[in-house]
Order: sequence, then structure tokens, then C-alpha cells
Amino acid sequence: MSNIIESHNLTKVYNPDTIPVNAVNGVNLQVEEGEFTALVGPSGSGKTTLLNLIGGLDYPTGGDVKIEGVDITQMSENKLIDFRLKNIGFVFQAYNLIPVLTASENVEFVMLLQKTSKGDRERRAIELLTEVGLKDKLNKRPSELSGGQQQRVAVARALASKPRFILADEPTANLDSKSTENLLEIMAKLNVEDKMTFIFSTHDQRVIDKARRVVTLVDGKIVSDVKQ
Amino acid sequence: MLFKIAWRNIWRNRTRSLVVIASIAVGLFAGMFMMAFFEGLAKQEVESTVETQLSHIQFHNPAFIADKDVNFTIENGPAIIGRLKKDVNVRATSGRLVTTGMISSSSTASGVEIHGIVPADEKAVSSISKDVIEGVYFTGLKKNEIVIGEKLALKLGVKLHNKIVLTFQSKTGDLTAGSFRIAGIFRSRNSAFDETTVFTGFDDLAGLLGTGDGIHEIAVIVQDGQKTDAVAKVLKKEYPSLLVQTWIELSPQMALLTSIMDQMMYIIIGIILLALMFGIINTMLMAVLERQREFGMLMAIGMNKPRVFFMILLESVMLTCAGIPAGILFTIITVGSLSRHGIDLSAFSQALSQYGFSNIVYPDLQRSMFLPVSLMTAFTAVLSAIYPAIKALRFKPAEAIHKI
Repeated sequence: MSNIIESHNLTKVYNPDTIPVNAVNGVNLQVEEGEFTALVGPSGSGKTTLLNLIGGLDYPTGGDVKIEGVDITQMSENKLIDFRLKNIGFVFQAYNLIPVLTASENVEFVMLLQKTSKGDRERRAIELLTEVGLKDKLNKRPSELSGGQQQRVAVARALASKPRFILADEPTANLDSKSTENLLEIMAKLNVEDKMTFIFSTHDQRVIDKARRVVTLVDGKIVSDVKQ
Repeated sequence: MLFKIAWRNIWRNRTRSLVVIASIAVGLFAGMFMMAFFEGLAKQEVESTVETQLSHIQFHNPAFIADKDVNFTIENGPAIIGRLKKDVNVRATSGRLVTTGMISSSSTASGVEIHGIVPADEKAVSSISKDVIEGVYFTGLKKNEIVIGEKLALKLGVKLHNKIVLTFQSKTGDLTAGSFRIAGIFRSRNSAFDETTVFTGFDDLAGLLGTGDGIHEIAVIVQDGQKTDAVAKVLKKEYPSLLVQTWIELSPQMALLTSIMDQMMYIIIGIILLALMFGIINTMLMAVLERQREFGMLMAIGMNKPRVFFMILLESVMLTCAGIPAGILFTIITVGSLSRHGIDLSAFSQALSQYGFSNIVYPDLQRSMFLPVSLMTAFTAVLSAIYPAIKALRFKPAEAIHKI
């Protein structure tokens, strides 16, 4: 299997001129296509910062991130936005759906940005929402959905752009046990059946147990990298 | 879908959006009101000046204008008046004698401009006859009648039917005087005019001046005030040896005043729109900052900056599209009503009459005002959204998506 993500000596220092904080400190990470990887570690260990750097949401202060051989740290902000649209799916801890759009419109929105035709958008949105078990919630707005349902819409949205991989930052942090289990099943199924690569940060032992690779971070450094 | 998002976003915070819509509507109303008010004020002022003092067109002997020497009468004046009375473009005409002199009562004296007029003709070109508040505008039965302004009467300490003495230079250069009895007292909109202008019978003044049937000034009211320039052009060609002037040429300060009013109007509208701009900036900025996490997410999932910018501008345009019709409707109802009933500014009557303005101003709402004011308001509203939109573009997705 080829590496889909590679980081070399990746570093992120906050407040370099005042009180420097090494959020990510020389991380070398390779992720192969089809992996189901959990980034774990205590609060402040750099999980979210590492995900942000891998996802091109932030620029590192040192090192590089290559996505399928392309160094995204050298890209301009505008190019990076376009790159994210085409290659990366995001699932956030707080769901972050567009509150004024329905579930299906939220899923369609990413495809709209990709200039997909209306018919294709609608068809795929229904497919994806059906896949995450929300066929009957197509026209519900986020405020009418539970946390677990919103997060499933977020997963469907992340998949809508047909990304190379999905980054999920604490996707189950706000969910109850049943919703967590449900979401994990969906993610695991997508990983196995569609070979979708997932990298997620988590504190949740249930999520860690489902992961096939667990990378542990402490003070911005990888202290263990275990395949299970 | 961007339209759908922008439209639904507007109604996420109904109160805030309604405040913005109301601000736009009030801004437009204020702009329209100021335009209508100044337009009405200027129009009334011009009408008042034309009616009481200038008329639309005046004829003079060019030499008379230079030093007001009573010798410089209009050649063939009566014949010209006869010709003008037959002109289809002329509604009324009146020949006048004009000189300056002193008016004296038993207690004091004052400098005045004396107009010798034919009351029947003058009534048709000047509104002074309607402004008489005491007595009559010449009985036509007695000799040496005079009509003076209320302010001058107060200054001289005289009343109706009192005698006053006019002293001035005759045609021969001798100082001559005549005793006149006050037949009427008038009060026009212009207190300065009331204090410095008196009217006597044409023949009475001509007798004292020794000008015979000579005329110093011919006042003309045209049928259509808008065609004053065209009529004057024809008359100028017809009487090249005479000075034929329109009211604008006679009173450039009046043209200047209306032009200054125009400028003032735009300055005030500018200030109103500036205030509106800050109001919208404040509200839109709040809306943008509240949705920081959302904008962070949108940029994270791939919405590029021009689209984010366009979406915020679109929200502002939609608010404007709702605010402008509301403002127009409000303007039509309120300013339309004020145009009919007038705005009573009696509280400032003294100051207003000093400058010749009426106590009651009738705003003049014209259809042609709606487009420029609406465009200015729309431009302001859209311009106001630019800063908040730029602010949104500066959000860093990694930070913004974690904002509470």
C-alpha cells in the first residue's frame, strides 16, 4: 500500500515571539491508503493541531506535509482551500453543519462547491444519507436532529466530495454511547467496504478499540505507534 | 444555493435583520425627505422672489442699471408694454418707475426704493397686493397714495392713513419731496424687502420725478415659468438696445442660493448615509463575528474566499432589497402628506422671514428623486458589508472552527 499522507519533522510553535508553545514537535507520520487510524493522547498533546496541519487548515512552522506526494505546506491559502475541497473530508467535534440548510442540502453544499450538477448532487446526497441511516431525515434542519444524527450528516457531507481521506477531530466527543457506536459502525463500514481512509483524534476508549492503528502523542511528539 | 443560504441567514436573527431593514428604510426616507424639503424650500423661495420682486423677465435701459439715474428710461416703453400684452407667451406685464430716496415720518427717516406702479397692471405681475394686511392696495380714487411694508411702518412709527414724506432726486437733479398718505400696509415673506420697498402710483411719482411717460422697468410674467429663458431669448433679439434679463440674471444670488441648497442637501444626505453606513457595518460585523465558526467550517470544507465574500455581500443586498421598497413606501406616505399640508416652521419665523423664506415649507417630492436616492442607499448598504466581509475572509479556519 502507498502512503497517502506523509509528514516529515512536522513542527508547529504557537507564540514563537512571546511564550513559545510546541504544539507539534518534529512529527514524522506516514498514513497508508485505507487505514483507520486514531490519534490519541492527553489534552494539549497536539492531536487537533496535527490534524489541522495534515488537513491544510493551518501552516506548520517547520517540516512538511505531503498528500500523495504533493507538499501542501507550500500552497497558497486559496490553492489550499481548493485542495481541501477536492481531497479531504472533515468531521468536526461540534458537527459544524450549516444551520439554515437541511440535512440533504448540507451534503449537497460541498458538491455545489465542486460544481456538480443539481441532479447528481441530489442523487448522491440521498445515497449518502441513506448510507448513514438518515434516509428519513433528508429535509430536517440540524436543529431538528440529535447530536448523533448531526454527526452522521457531517460524515455524509465529508464523503460527498469523494475525498482521498477523512479527518475527524473528536467525532464522538459530544455523543452518547448509542450514537457513538452507531457512528463508529458507519465509519468502520465505509473504511472496510469503500476503502475510505480515516484519521481521527479521540479520547474515547471505544473509538480507540475500533481503530486498527493507534498513534499516541504526548507534548507534540509521537510516543507510540501501534497497529492492532 | 448561495442565495438560499444568504436569504435564510438573514432570518436567523429576525430582530437584527429587521433593524437593518428599518435602518435602510429610514436612511432612504431621510434622504428623500431632505431632497424634497430643500427642493420645496428652493422652489418656494424662487416663486416668492419672482412674485414679489423680480417677475420672470425685466426690461431696463442698460444705463439705468449702472447707477439708477432716473433719466435713463426705456425708449418707447409704453409701446413695448402694448406689444408684450399681445404676446401669447406673456401672461402679464407692468411698467414701473424706480428710484431711491428717503422716507420720513414725524419721528424718523429711512432709506427706501420707491416703485411707481400702475396698480391694475402690477397686481398681475406681483403678489404684493395679496400681502396687504391693513388698508387696501391703492384705492385708485385719491392722489399720492403709498403702500409700505409692516416692518417699515413699525420702524417709522406710522399707521394706516398717516402721512409720510418721500424725498428723492428729480430728473433735473434737484431734490424733490412729496407727501403721501398710507393706503395699505403689506407683509410679504421677506422682511428685508418689507423694510426697504414702498409703492406709489405711477403718475404721482412721474409727476415728482419729471419723467413724463418714461418707464424705468418693465416686469414680465410668462405663461410658463419653465420657458422663461426661451421667451427672454426672443425678446433680447427683438430689443437689442435694451437690457432684457431673466430672474436668474437679475438675481444671481438667488441662483447661487438654490445651488448652495442643492449642495447642502447632498452634504446632509451624505451625512445621513454615513450614519446609516456605520449602523449597517456594526450590525453586519456582529452577524459575521457571531458566525465565525461557521465561516471557519465553510472555508475548511472548501468554500473559497470570493464565495464567502459574495455570500456576505448577498445578505446585505437582500436586506437592502427589502429596506428600499419599505423606505419608498414610507416616504410616499409621510412626505406625500407633508407636501400637501406643509411643515409649519413658525417657531423660526423671524429667522426665516429675514431670508425671505416662508413659515410653512411644502416639501416637493418628485418622482425623479427616487432613483438616485435609492441607488445611493443601495450603494451605501453594499459598501457597508465590505468591511465585515473582509473581516470574515481573515478568519483562520483552524482557529475559527473552534470558536464558541
